[in-house]
Amino acid sequence: MQVGRYRFWGALVLLGCAAAAGCAGNGQGLDQNGQPISSGGTTGGTTNGPVTADFQSIQANVFTPICSVCHIGASAPEGLQLDAAHSYNLLVGVPSNEQPNLLRVKAGDPDNSYMVRKIEGPNFGISGMQMPLGEKPLSQATINAIRQWVTNGAPNAPAAAAAAGQMFAVQTTAPLDQATVKAPLARILVTFTQDVDASLVNDTTVALERIDPTSTATGSAQNMSAAARLAPGNPAVLMITPSAQLGPGVYRVMVRGAGGGALANMNATPLGANTSFEFTVEPAQ
Amino acid sequence: MIGRYSQFTLRGLLFVLCFAAYGVRAEPYLAVQLGLKCGQCHVNPTGGGLRTTFGDIFAQTVLPAQHLDTPLDNWTGQLGQYLRAGGDLRFDASLTQAPNTRSVDQFASEQTRVYMEADLIPNRLLAYADEQIAPGGALNREAYLLYWSATHDWYLKAGQMYLPFGLRLQDQSAFILTATGINMTTPDSGVEFGWEHGHWDAQLAVSNGTAGGAVNSNGKQTSTQLIYVESVWRAGVAANFNAQSGGAKSAYGIFGGLRTGPISWLAQAEITNDQSIPNGQGNKQLATLLEANWLIARGNNLKITQEFLNPNRAVRGAEETRWSLVYELTPIQFAQIRTGFRWNDGIPQNDAQHQRLYFVELHGFF
Repeated sequence: MQVGRYRFWGALVLLGCAAAAGCAGNGQGLDQNGQPISSGGTTGGTTNGPVTADFQSIQANVFTPICSVCHIGASAPEGLQLDAAHSYNLLVGVPSNEQPNLLRVKAGDPDNSYMVRKIEGPNFGISGMQMPLGEKPLSQATINAIRQWVTNGAPNAPAAAAAAGQMFAVQTTAPLDQATVKAPLARILVTFTQDVDASLVNDTTVALERIDPTSTATGSAQNMSAAARLAPGNPAVLMITPSAQLGPGVYRVMVRGAGGGALANMNATPLGANTSFEFTVEPAQ
Repeated sequence: MIGRYSQFTLRGLLFVLCFAAYGVRAEPYLAVQLGLKCGQCHVNPTGGGLRTTFGDIFAQTVLPAQHLDTPLDNWTGQLGQYLRAGGDLRFDASLTQAPNTRSVDQFASEQTRVYMEADLIPNRLLAYADEQIAPGGALNREAYLLYWSATHDWYLKAGQMYLPFGLRLQDQSAFILTATGINMTTPDSGVEFGWEHGHWDAQLAVSNGTAGGAVNSNGKQTSTQLIYVESVWRAGVAANFNAQSGGAKSAYGIFGGLRTGPISWLAQAEITNDQSIPNGQGNKQLATLLEANWLIARGNNLKITQEFLNPNRAVRGAEETRWSLVYELTPIQFAQIRTGFRWNDGIPQNDAQHQRLYFVELHGFF
């Protein structure tokens, strides 16, 4: 009887606590990250006052409202997606497509960061046009804030803190899965939600092959010689550089995330499953 | 505004009602069930990792539904006069679903960990290591020297260690563990002073504040907690302050445990304030947990958990919840089968916040 009474009261208390424990939010007026749409928060689409020398401010005031109008999705120019989910890992430590000898953002060195040159203008040794394309150039105050952020080492502390609580997974790829890009393609990027253990990046964990989409035979794939390494200063980005630029064809990248020696984060947590994505390189016009 | 404060007040009142009426105290459910401190069953005074001889015997004779007799003595982890060992292995099959997302079902080795203790000076000085050997490469979780006073009323620990902050749950994805960032995946290097006196337990740790990573500033992380432990209840408070160059992060929590007949309750509520996030966005959080563990029969435990997370206390309508129902069967010594599901709910526009996880886990331990 005593035990039965305890169970009754225990269940009653549990039900009471659970009933009043709160419900999920309705999300009204918020973006998909739970930030107010009108505030231009970390992912918002509107500006939020003067740009400060931190990545979140730059994202909210420059990349999201201005750059990601074009630089988004599978057809993002140069594979550079500048929405909040992708921009950092596709910028910091990643070689530029237009001038591969320069990193898009070289932490601590704004003068040799190609992204900075692209927003500063044609007098700074860029290929192609000044950014933002077809828009008025960014204000000098905004450029100064971006330069200062790069000078400070291009940190992204809040994202790093958030990453600690995230599952280790592939965040995005460039080119995206099933995307079509113009030849030649010099580099493939795979970005992750957390930093990758560089000692596990090798031929057994990362492979690039050319496939024949018309054939179902297993032997129809041809291994491609490529070098895989992590981006300097941004170990959440895996760069795959083919020995020769990829010509027209269909290609597949495979990342082994399971089994012995699988690709893992710095806490030795592997991806848990193999990942692959395919893309098509079509002849240049 | 009023609604939010009312909700918070109500939550606080419920917390008090749930525990203060009986008194209070905290720790994962076995400690609450037994009315013991964590250090009774674990070498680490704050819990987790290698079991003590008492913990080993309990795990083989009391925890399982049936104890299979063997010609051997019970395992006590003793490898020699000075060395003791233990381990945990978790392997699971899971199915993860989320709206507009392809379901993922997989087998996975979640974790294999081995523990070693060297009693350098019996009962006074020990060296301890907790190594994760799978999946992936070996990874050190804890490695420290622990010095006990002659009367075991205080100790000093130095090395890499888990930090003291509230309930040390097994589920590392619990909101209360991810909100603070203090969990068993983020050990830190530093020193810890512990004080144990009668019903009281207290710890104060000072560490690098980089979760074991490279030091990038002179700022340090301070973690402290104070717990009062009675036989059927326990209550505690915890605080953490991490002064890093990008901005300080602070966390404050209250936690407790209560045994009502066959049901052991756990609860924790905490607020965090992360100043390293600029523009005041997403920097103040509230996370709570309420868990009931119903010991249906020996070796059979039903766990129901309700969690709540307000990821930004300055924004209304972004709250997340998670319910878990887990059945834990320990049929024989050294082996446990856990099966259950976790049901997430969040804002409609974020599919990931509506994840459903179904799993079956085999847990081997010694």
